[in-house]
Amino acid sequence: MKANSSTQQKKTGADTIQRLMAFGALIILFVVFSLASPYFFTLSNVIGILVSTAVNGLLAIGVTFIIISGGIDLSVGTVMTLSAVMAAVTVRNWGMPNIFGVLAAVLTGTFAGAVNGLMVSKLKLPPFIATLGMLNVARGLSLVITDLSPIYFPLETGWNRIAMGSVLGTIIPGFDIPNGVLIMFGSALVAGLILSKTVIGRYAFAIGSNEEAARLSGLNIVLWKTAIYAVGGLFVGIGGVIIAARLNSAQPALGLGYELDAIAAAVIGGVSLSGGEGNILGTIIGAFIISTLTNGLRILSVPQEWQIVVTGLIILSAVYLDILRKKASAN
Amino acid sequence: MKSKKMLIIASVLMILAMLAACAPAAETPTTVDEPAVEETLYIPVISKGFQHAFWLAVKAGAERAAADYGVEITFEGPESEAMVDKQMDMLQAAIDKDPAAICFAAVDSQAAIPLLEQAQAKGIPVIGFDSGVDSDIPLATAATDNVAAAALAADKMVELIGGSGEVAVIAHDNTSRTGIDRVAGFKDRIESTYPDVTIVDIQYGGGDHLRSTDLAKAIIQGNPDLKGFFGANEGSIIGVLNAVSELGRDDIVVIGYDSGQQQLEAIRSGQQAGAITQDPIGIGYKCVEAAVKAVRGETLPKFIDTGFHWFDATNIDDPDIAALLYE
Amino acid sequence: MNDTLVLMEGIDKRFPGVQALKGCQFNLQRGEVHALVGENGAGKSTLMKILAGIYQVDGGTITFKGEQVTIPNPHTAQTMGISMVHQELNLMSHLTAAQNIFIGREPTKSFLIDENTQNNKTKEIFELMNLNLDPTMRVSKMTVAKQQMVEIAKALSFNADVLIFDEPSGALTDVETAELFRIIRQLKAEGTGIIYITHRMEELKEISDRITVLRDGLYVNTVNTRETSINEIINMMVGRVIYESSPEIPEERSQEIVLEVKNLSRGNELKDVSFQLMKGEILGFAGLIGAGRTETARAIFGADPVDSGEVFINGKPVHIKRPSDAVAHDIAYLSEDRKRYGLCLSLDLKTNIVLPIYQKLSSVLGWVKDKRAYTISKNIVDQLSIRTPSLEQKAKNLSGGNQQKVVVGKWLAKDADILIFDEPTRGIDVGAKQEIYSLLNELAAQGKSIIMISSELPEIIRMSHRVIVMCEGRVTGNLDYSEATQENIMKFATMRNGGNAKKSAQPS
Repeated sequence: MKANSSTQQKKTGADTIQRLMAFGALIILFVVFSLASPYFFTLSNVIGILVSTAVNGLLAIGVTFIIISGGIDLSVGTVMTLSAVMAAVTVRNWGMPNIFGVLAAVLTGTFAGAVNGLMVSKLKLPPFIATLGMLNVARGLSLVITDLSPIYFPLETGWNRIAMGSVLGTIIPGFDIPNGVLIMFGSALVAGLILSKTVIGRYAFAIGSNEEAARLSGLNIVLWKTAIYAVGGLFVGIGGVIIAARLNSAQPALGLGYELDAIAAAVIGGVSLSGGEGNILGTIIGAFIISTLTNGLRILSVPQEWQIVVTGLIILSAVYLDILRKKASAN
Repeated sequence: MKSKKMLIIASVLMILAMLAACAPAAETPTTVDEPAVEETLYIPVISKGFQHAFWLAVKAGAERAAADYGVEITFEGPESEAMVDKQMDMLQAAIDKDPAAICFAAVDSQAAIPLLEQAQAKGIPVIGFDSGVDSDIPLATAATDNVAAAALAADKMVELIGGSGEVAVIAHDNTSRTGIDRVAGFKDRIESTYPDVTIVDIQYGGGDHLRSTDLAKAIIQGNPDLKGFFGANEGSIIGVLNAVSELGRDDIVVIGYDSGQQQLEAIRSGQQAGAITQDPIGIGYKCVEAAVKAVRGETLPKFIDTGFHWFDATNIDDPDIAALLYE
Repeated sequence: MNDTLVLMEGIDKRFPGVQALKGCQFNLQRGEVHALVGENGAGKSTLMKILAGIYQVDGGTITFKGEQVTIPNPHTAQTMGISMVHQELNLMSHLTAAQNIFIGREPTKSFLIDENTQNNKTKEIFELMNLNLDPTMRVSKMTVAKQQMVEIAKALSFNADVLIFDEPSGALTDVETAELFRIIRQLKAEGTGIIYITHRMEELKEISDRITVLRDGLYVNTVNTRETSINEIINMMVGRVIYESSPEIPEERSQEIVLEVKNLSRGNELKDVSFQLMKGEILGFAGLIGAGRTETARAIFGADPVDSGEVFINGKPVHIKRPSDAVAHDIAYLSEDRKRYGLCLSLDLKTNIVLPIYQKLSSVLGWVKDKRAYTISKNIVDQLSIRTPSLEQKAKNLSGGNQQKVVVGKWLAKDADILIFDEPTRGIDVGAKQEIYSLLNELAAQGKSIIMISSELPEIIRMSHRVIVMCEGRVTGNLDYSEATQENIMKFATMRNGGNAKKSAQPS
């Protein structure tokens, strides 16, 4: 017993180290790139990194909820697109104020998530298949609704400013962090609280850890899974708002392949694909590692094909680290 | 425990080693502290793709111009033409590098405008190429006159089907300039000049081989009397070729656009009647050339026509044509 | 002539942070059954896993049939003639019994797997074991007990000289255990050396010739079974004297019916199951594996659907369609398979304990009151004396006994009135068993009503106020404390009259 408890402390120590590790890796990336190029650590480029993380960060938050509950969501990319399309339809075609556009996007994401959740919990479809179906349904609907061409937001609506304007810049002059970035951080904070402090978060962990035990503990699995997928979808919907604002348009063909970046961010951040483990901070750091790496290699003018190779290696290393950590805590 | 930590650290070191290995190779184009009298100009070229043979030819032309004018370039593009935001990230990073000029072919012009304005504000000249940018910001655009090129394809098509009958079109999209212009050029010429020819269908396959194949098959099966098929870019025409051979309809006159190995072989074997070739090498060359001239303060024409040509089995190996084709 | 099959001397084994074995010794003779006992964590399984090639020694020597050997992997051990039946099941659930038994050494006919030969050979082994099981049945469709029998069959199929059984009877009923003992005696007579790890003291006398005791990774002693009393062995195991308290069954007990089940039926598994549970009562459920005891419990709890039947709680009819309904009626079910059905292993103790009551512990927006959760779980941990360094300890890092207490604690926190314990002491060491027993008594004294399903007859007899005996999905006996003897229970547990009729009706 005594020996046990002391190894236990070591283990929690190793856990923390691993968590710091991801953050440390991000810092090291920053330092290395800053030393390698004078153009990397400039306000404009750092803001560029933040902006390019915003969308993937939000999708990764969404997918984190679902992976922790033991599922997977392949539909985040195209559901994001569908959310953007619904926002554009509301604002441009129906001429409603921006706030309704935001609501339309968020509701679309949440609804798609809830449908995913119901398919998984009520109809017992494997998450991979259910969300693969949703991926195509959302993608197809986006193309149908837009009649294949992008919908542009009229400039006078100021939709673009939702993500690209800077409220912070007007308060602190010169500190022009775009709103989209703040929205991502805000969402991450809320998501972190939901995951760690509310019943829905606890149940996501419990279901992901052992669904049958959770069911026998009296949890209504259909209800809670649906809720978990819906919450994930909500953040995907916010992602839809951000991408629509960034591009000032809803691009119906976009979104395919984005789910893999989101899953990669979550995995790099320590979310276990077998469920029951993970946190939002890790996921956000994971998203930043991906975008920082892409940006840094770009700034260093590394040939594009090598950028892809390096990103792949980073994902593999992150997963391998996770396995090492698991091994360490199993002994 | 200790060995585990060592492993973790080793993996991180491995990642860093990768980066370090990449960094020096990468720095060559951006070397600023060389004791040269004149600073080497750096011009990033951001295209709509990077894996496609067409873009590789554009890249080759751009590199040739870079060598001729003694400038450094990088060539980048998103993995698919749908990834508007990824191209924005590339453009942003390019602007952050404070280049001498930027060559840019927008996937979505509207989305790029705020960033292009940023470049303009920083005094970075922007040169459009290929589909260019729908805006006044680029000082010049080096591109094929797609409307005229597609009209030539229409003329050839009518000639080859014998002056009347049904034809169909598969294009990559109806959002980019090239997609819109090629479809319009083909369609307008048929409608205005050849009343006996009807276009039964125009579909968009995103330039994806497989999707274009499926679309083309569906069109052929839905229109058994179809006499001719125009594919408006390389991906589209490969789809048409696949469809024709899978359905055994060698009687259909197939006309394509651009080159690429598969299309060249089809033309040599007679499966495909011919194609319009742009001059991708010329596009790449002329846009970098224009960028250099812009940096030097020379005045540029707003539109730089890079030319197009009809080619078929008879002239495919002519040196003038062969130079424009790529595999 | 030397009859020593295995001689292990000075065995050391370290795991990160733990010295699992220190200078242990063990020897096995031809034709003997050598029991290996000790509390959980004493190092029994580790020592045997070294012999079976699963772990490598850090120090010491192994001599097999007079030659010093190293056993680098399980495959070598098997080819040498050492075979092990593991405590945890190591079967591939999507494969059939025969496919599992011959995995890695399938009989082939012109490069194709010869399923017929494989099935026939398996059938022979099953017949030797007196086991009525179809070799082509998928393991996932079998109960835990039957899976255990498949594991044993697999070990037998190697024709090994040394057979190691790591708590084989854990999942078996008394009848099945008797069958296992018969096979062991048969093998012993043929000269096989058998090592038998167990927690069940009563089995030692029945089956073993010699007993080796380990404690905290150290070798304690090897004794002849005939010359040693169970109490002496227990003393060696725990290093202290344990007093087995006799059950305190109240003479007068409440006649208030808390739970009444009427004619619960589902297919062949449950047939008109009816019984009553009184307030403050421990109702034992006895029967062979597959008698329908677990099925009854799960049906009451809403974990599995039923075809027909009624359930009354405090005299009122209730409709329980899913576990959440049962929990709402203050019914708790503690599964026989804690790890699979009872715990979220990768989550901490606190979360596991308050899992059923999170919704009560949260505000309108679903905000969890963590302090309350902490206090509640702290109380439970103290009340049940769960040994853990902290409330943040992950459930998977607790010992079996403590894990069981966490599952119990979960339902104490929920304040359930009706507790269904399914094999509450399976895989738990002697000391922890005592604690679980006194806990059950305490709960009953507090007025909780308990259903205890157990395959260990002594446990049933000791603990229960009344005993329900089931056989093939039917309730065959309802015995009062005074009538509940081993003989009586076994009589009802094997009352298969309904079963025979069914068998003839079934196409073979």
